[in-house]
Order: sequence, then C-alpha cells, then structure tokens
Amino acid sequence: MSEARKPETGKPETLQSLTIGLAGEVFAIPVMVVRDILDPLPVTAVPTARQFVNGLINVRGRVVPLVDLRLKLGLPPAETTKDSRFVVIETDIDGENVIVALRTDKVYEVGDVEFVDGEEAPRIGMRWNPELLHGIGRRNNRFIMILDLGRVFASIEPTDF
Amino acid sequence: MTKTILCVDDSASMRQTIKLTLAISGYRIVEAIDGLDGLEKAKSHTVDLVITDLNMPRLDGFGLINELRTLPAFKGVPIMFVTTESDPAKRAQAKAVGATAWITKPFAPDHLLKMVRRLLG
Amino acid sequence: MSVVQMEPVEIFRQEAEELFAQLEAALLDLEGSPQDKETIASAFRALHTIKGSGAMFGFDAVAKFTHHVETVFDRVRSGEVLVSPGLIGVTLTAKDHMRRLIEAPDQVAPGVGDAILAELRRVIADSGQGAPVGRPDPAQLKPAQATNAPAVSPQSQPSSPSAAGFRIRFALPNNALVIGTNPVLMIRELLDLGEGRVKGDASAVPALDIIDPEHCYLRWEVTLTTSQPAEAIEDVFLFVRDESDLSIEPVSEPLGQEPAPIFALAAPPPGVGDGSHPTARPPVEPDPQPESARKAPPVAKAQPAGVVKVNAERIDSLMDQVGELVIAQSRLKQLAHSGEELSLLALRAIAEEMERLVAELRDTTMGIRMVPIGSLFTRFRRVVRDLSRELGKEVQLVTQGEETELDKTVVESLNDPLVHLIRNAVDHGVESAAERLAAGKPAEGTVLLTAAHVGGQVLITVSDDGKGLDRPRIKSKAEERGLIAAGADPTDAELFDLIFHPGFSTAGSVTSVSGRGVGMDVVKKTIDGLRGTIDVSSKPGAGSRMTLRLPLTLAIIDGLMVRIGDGRYIVPLTAVDEIVELEEADDGQSAANNFLYIRDELVPFLRLRDLFSLSGDPPPYEKVVIVSAGERRVGLVVDQMLGDHQTVIKSLSRMHADVKCFSGATILGDGRVALILDIIHLIDFGQSREERLRTP
Repeated sequence: MSEARKPETGKPETLQSLTIGLAGEVFAIPVMVVRDILDPLPVTAVPTARQFVNGLINVRGRVVPLVDLRLKLGLPPAETTKDSRFVVIETDIDGENVIVALRTDKVYEVGDVEFVDGEEAPRIGMRWNPELLHGIGRRNNRFIMILDLGRVFASIEPTDF
Repeated sequence: MTKTILCVDDSASMRQTIKLTLAISGYRIVEAIDGLDGLEKAKSHTVDLVITDLNMPRLDGFGLINELRTLPAFKGVPIMFVTTESDPAKRAQAKAVGATAWITKPFAPDHLLKMVRRLLG
Repeated sequence: MSVVQMEPVEIFRQEAEELFAQLEAALLDLEGSPQDKETIASAFRALHTIKGSGAMFGFDAVAKFTHHVETVFDRVRSGEVLVSPGLIGVTLTAKDHMRRLIEAPDQVAPGVGDAILAELRRVIADSGQGAPVGRPDPAQLKPAQATNAPAVSPQSQPSSPSAAGFRIRFALPNNALVIGTNPVLMIRELLDLGEGRVKGDASAVPALDIIDPEHCYLRWEVTLTTSQPAEAIEDVFLFVRDESDLSIEPVSEPLGQEPAPIFALAAPPPGVGDGSHPTARPPVEPDPQPESARKAPPVAKAQPAGVVKVNAERIDSLMDQVGELVIAQSRLKQLAHSGEELSLLALRAIAEEMERLVAELRDTTMGIRMVPIGSLFTRFRRVVRDLSRELGKEVQLVTQGEETELDKTVVESLNDPLVHLIRNAVDHGVESAAERLAAGKPAEGTVLLTAAHVGGQVLITVSDDGKGLDRPRIKSKAEERGLIAAGADPTDAELFDLIFHPGFSTAGSVTSVSGRGVGMDVVKKTIDGLRGTIDVSSKPGAGSRMTLRLPLTLAIIDGLMVRIGDGRYIVPLTAVDEIVELEEADDGQSAANNFLYIRDELVPFLRLRDLFSLSGDPPPYEKVVIVSAGERRVGLVVDQMLGDHQTVIKSLSRMHADVKCFSGATILGDGRVALILDIIHLIDFGQSREERLRTP
C-alpha cells in the first residue's frame, strides 16, 4: 500500500478505494489491489486450516484462499446473503505476491476516500487494532476504516490459530 | 520441398485421420469439407496430390475430379479417391473422369501412406 | 495444432534422440546380460530405425554409417557374433558419432566414422568371429579413406536362396502422365523389391513436330532379382494394370546376361513426373548430378528445438474440451439469435461454462508440456559408466521415479545440474574399491537418483554411499575464504550450504572431472532460477545426499476421487494399495482400536470424517482406502469412491502454509475445488492426534 500515504503536512490526501461492508462497519481497501468482485462461489472447506481462512474457491481456474476478515478483526463470522460478494485482491506479503478473496457482506462503491487526522476521529479508531489500519478516512461524512492489507496478512503467522 | 495434399472429405474424423497420417510423414495438408470447397481450395493453393471422398454434399468426388481436370494447373497432378465403395464400376467411372488411384475405406494408415508415396515419391 | 505441423526433420531429430537413448540403454544392459535376446533386438531395432528414418529425412551420412553397425547387430541377433565388452564400447562410440552426425555434422572430422568402423571390425575379429563388418565393402572400412563414399551405396541385401528373377515390360496408358501417374516412382518401387536393371525404350517417341507433350510414349523393361512373389510386382501396377500393356515373366539368370545398367535410379532426377512437361525429360535420362537430388539436411540445430511428445490421451481430452467449447459457443450463438428477451441467467450459465472449459483447456494444454523425467535419467547411466571407468572406480547408478512428470523446460534445465551432482558423487563421494573394502563397504559404490512428486513439489535426490563431505576441509576452506569467522562453530547445514558459494571448490586437486569451472554455485543458480531449493546432508563415512525441491505451479497426477460429507478429495493413486468395505462387524470388533483385519494383517485406519471435524453422519457403508507411505500401511475411511481423476495439481497459497494434510488442490470438472491428500502428513497428523487423545 505504498501508493497511499498518510498526510504528513496536515493537507488532506485521498485514496482511491473500494468500500466494503463487514458486520455493519464500512471499510476501505485500495482499488489498486482489487482484481475482481464476484458473486459468492461454491466454497471448498479446508479442514485443519485456521478459521478465518478455511475455504478455497476457483477464480478462473486459479485456486484462491477465501479469507473472512471479520475473524481477523474480531467481528462475528460471515453469513452469506444476497448482497454478499467475494472481493479478489492481489497484494504483496513480505515481497511475495499473493492472491486472496475476501468475504464481504456488501460492496458499496469505488471512490476517493479522504484521510482524516487521527485527532478528528479518535474514538472510532480505538475499537480496532491500529496495526491493521492504514488510517481513518472519510467519505460522504462517514468515517471509514482504511485497511492495511499488507499488515493484515503479514500478521498472519502459521501459529496464529 | 514439402508436398501439399488437398484432402476433401465431408467427415471431419476422416479428414483428421488422413491429416494425421500424412502430416506426420511430412506432407502439408489442406482440408476441404466438400467438393465445392475442394474446388475453391484447389484454385487457391498449389497442390501436389488430391485425396477426395466420393460421396459428398454439394459436389461429389466425380464432379470434383471432372472440374479439376479442366484446370491447367491440375494436368499431371495425381488424384486419389478414398471411398467405402468397392464397386469396380465406380472405380472405372472414377478413372474415366481422371482419377489416378483409389483406396478403400477403412484403410490402414500405412497403406494410405504407401499409396501416397507411390504417387508422390 | 503444432503436433500436426511439425517439420519431419524435427520429428526425426526427436525420434533419433529417443532411439539413441534406447540404443544406449540396451548396450548398457548388455554389459550385464550379454545374451539377452530382447535387449539385442532392442538395440538392433534402434539401429534399424535410425538408418531407415535417417535416409528418409536426408541424413545420408548417418544412414550409411548406421547401416554397417546395424549389419553387425543383425549378426549378433542371429547368434553369429557374440556381444563382448569391446563390441559394447565401440558401439557406444558409434552411437555418439551418429548423434554428432545429426546434431553437428560440420564438426565431424573426416575419417572418424571409418576409424570407428575399423575398430568395430577389429573387435569382432578379435573375438574370433572373423567375418568383416559391413559385409560388402571392406574398402569403406579403411580408416584413412575420406568420408566421400560412393554416391550410391546399394544396400547389400543378401540374396535369399529363394530369390527369383523377373523380366517386367510395361507401357503406360496414353493419359498416364496427365492423370498424375509417375513412372519413375513405379520403377523405383520395383527396384525396392530387389536388385534390378532398367532399360527405357524410346522407339515409340515420334518426331518433335508431331509430339504430344502430354502423351506417354516410352516403354520400360525392368529385370529384377527378388525374393518377393510376382504379386508384389503386380501390386506396383495396381492402378494402371487394366489399361497398361504389362508383362511379367520369370527369368532364370536375370542379371548375369544383361548389359550394364542404364542408370541406377537410386537418386531419381528431381522434377521428373512433376506434371509440368512430362516427356520433355524422359525419366530414363541419366541424371548428371545424382548427388544433388539428395540435399543435405538443413543446418543442424544443436538442440531438438521445442518438440514435445504428447500422450494420446491428452490429445483426446484436448479434443473433447475443444468439442465442449464448440457446443457452448453454439449455445451462446443460439441464445444471441433467439430473438427472445435475453435471459441473464442463461447467459451467465453459458459464460460460466465457457470459463470453466477455457480453464480446463488451458490446464490440458499446459499438461502437454509435462514429460517424464526418465528421459533424462537414462542419459546419466552413461555418465556414471564412463566416469567410473576413467577414475578406476566401481560405481552403479540406481534410479527411481522415472515416471515422475515435470514441465519439459524444467527437465531440460535439470540436465546440467544433475550431471554435475552425479559427477561430484562419483568423483568426490564414492571411494576407490580398495578404500571401500577397507572401510567394510562393498567394492561397488552406488549413486542413487530419485524423483517423486511430493505435494506440489517435485523432489529429486542424488545420493551416494561414499565417504561423505569432508567437514574439516570445508570449514578450513570457508575460513580461508573469509566465508565464516575463524573459530566459528557452524551447524552442518550452515557449513554445507557454503559449498554453493561462488568459487568454493573443495577438491584438493582439481581433477579433469569436476574442476572445470562449473561449480556448485552454478548448480544452485540454475535451481534458484527454477524457483527451487537444494539441500545437502552428509554423514562421514556413509555418504551424502543432495535434495532438490522444485515447486510446481502445475503438475499432473493420477488420483482417486473420494467423497467425505459434501467434500470431494483426491488421493494420489500411487499411494493407493486397495479399497475395502468397512464391514460393520469388523468395525464393531475393532472400532475401539481403529484397526482393520485385512488377510490376517492388522491395518490401522483413520476416520477422515473425524480427522477433518466434518459435521453430519457417515453413511451406513463406508469405504476404506488402504494407502501406503513408506513402511506404513493405513486405511483412510471415506464415505464414497468417485473414481479415477486426472489431477492437475495447484499449489496451496502461503495462507495455507500451516495446512499439512493437503499437498495441493485441483479444480474439478464442475469448477469446484478439491483438495489433494498428502498421505505422509495425513498419517502423521492422524497418529499424533490419536496419541493426544490417549494421553489427555
């Protein structure tokens, strides 16, 4: 997510983002990493895998792990509804290219999300592990958590059950 | 020089069989799906040998050979017809219109190859 | 399809490669069992085909040279000549020569072939079976003679006792040339039946001003000695018999009484019978440059470029998939032209179908590139044989897993690194016979080369039972080179890893064998380039082992598809021993212990349903897949067998690096993903879990 920079001079900066819904909260992920938005596909369970990544899907002939970010963020697990979408992202984790699909309850839109100063919305950020967030953004006067996917995935160690 | 063989047959599997047999032995194959198509391909390619089916839609083997023999470019070009017919009268008729050789279906690939070599060297 | 459009010369090159491998393997086998008829026949067939195909594709020098070797092996086949070490040695050299004649004919020094043939003649004479090699022409065997052998070397067919003579006279129908009948080819075919002479009769050719250029005026007379029946001669005239003026009569002394041949016809002039001017150049006219008709092959490429031999089954599935794609496409077309309001659902269904098909097609197409590594392994037998002789050691090469499939380019890139590792093993690893005996080992050392699919990887090992890596020497060298601090205490793994460091060479004296600039660093670089890893392990006195792991984004295995709950899984077929029903009675008796009695053998079983914590109840009759992993035999209890499945392995993402029970995944025909069981890890996992359950 090196393409996005937190404001250093106090001047507002924006990030082209895809906004997604997870358990009633709105999150943003950089558009740069999004490869595909799919209707829910058949999921193959991966026994013995960690809960948040216990599925595989076929994305155009590629076997892609399905990640439930909610479990990583401490939210209740996903349920599939008519609004559910799988968002396929491609990103670097420790210099290695990785493709994963994210379960989302809803995909809102693509648009600029404006970074806001930490001081403006300190309370909302408290609920989340700041390590996993790129920062807090604002769109249409709503606060949005901008996910740092690199950190989200880098924090996933094999021992991390 | 790679020799070019025009293969005219309405059966795709038959064409494939002939094509594989001959292509593996180094011949270039031009395929046509019936007599009319064969006639068109014959006019647009330099052909060293024609292998044609007898019974085909639109223009049959006899008709095709008839037409080909009127083309100056096909003087001296061998034409072999491949047919399930073993009727000697049909063979005689084919010869009368200018066929050089015949082969009866089904045939062993080796036999086809032998016959083609006999015509093309 | 490139299969169809391959140049014949390329096919020959590839075929020759295979035949050389076959010949070499046969020769090496003969060292152990010199009387084996099958092996002798295999060597003969290889030679025979190299000669025949070589001639067909214009490699005349190869054909000519091979002919003499083939003649010898024909005599070996008939028991007239016995296989001796000398014969094997010189034939191996001859094989190398043939190969050079095909790959780099320009670099073959004149006289080399003749010298080899002379040597061949000598070893046969030495073994007391004095008949000369290459029955007909001892002149050709003189080493000093230039390679420019006579242009036409008639194949010396030993005249069979039943050979008969025929005089064939024929004239073709007037329109023969117009309809494409080629008299030259017919005459050549006649001559293929035996030995013959051809006489042309031009007496019927009219004056030039009244000549019809399309008319066939010539008559021919062919005198033939052949062991073939008259029917074979008639067969040549199959298409023209009715219209031709043809007579075939037996003669008693066919060739003796005839004048010298008008021309040999071995190299028919080009252009004759091409239909343009059939009589402008009578076919019997002697060709002024018979040699020119047989052009040298196009400049030889060093490598048989890009030719892959494809399993027919894969072509079949390719055809099937293309067929399905065509059907899907026509359904799409139909839908587009139906005039009805477009059903998004129907469109989506077709889109998904086509997506699936294209993905399958892609996988199958990539699968075509997969070749067994065995083709590479056979080459190494020779490397070990030659090198061990050079060094005066006794070394045998044992190979396992030849059928393991890898991408063709990977196989090719592995050649040099493996040659290097094997040479190292023979040169530095295996000790001399005396040293070995002194150390209580058998005099003959063993280099073991294995390949196997392990999970989504290909595992290749090169190991030897020699003296092992010289730890102190590596350490002192590493210190000397500043690779480790003096007095440091690296682990074996750390230390041995240093041998891959550029410029690191442990051989005290640089031998001609291993010390020629290509070091272990180059090996490592090549393996890195393939995104693989290489590890070393070694035990003093017991030998060392190099382990190459090559990741596979794509490999294909035969799998057994099973169902457990609503999930489908692939069991690698190589691990499957048998499938039995889980009898309720058995289960009842042994359920507590999870053991199964199979023909008096106690086989432990794992309930995959439990192991995978799947919900739902098992069906009344479960199946047990008995698998073996090394020494262990274990039953895997599943719900249902679904049958064989050609499985394209897809690696699991690093997100699943912790998942050990599965080596990869694959995509099934319906587009769903199925997991491939990693038998070894699965058994470990099951056993460790059971132990945990027993000791709470």
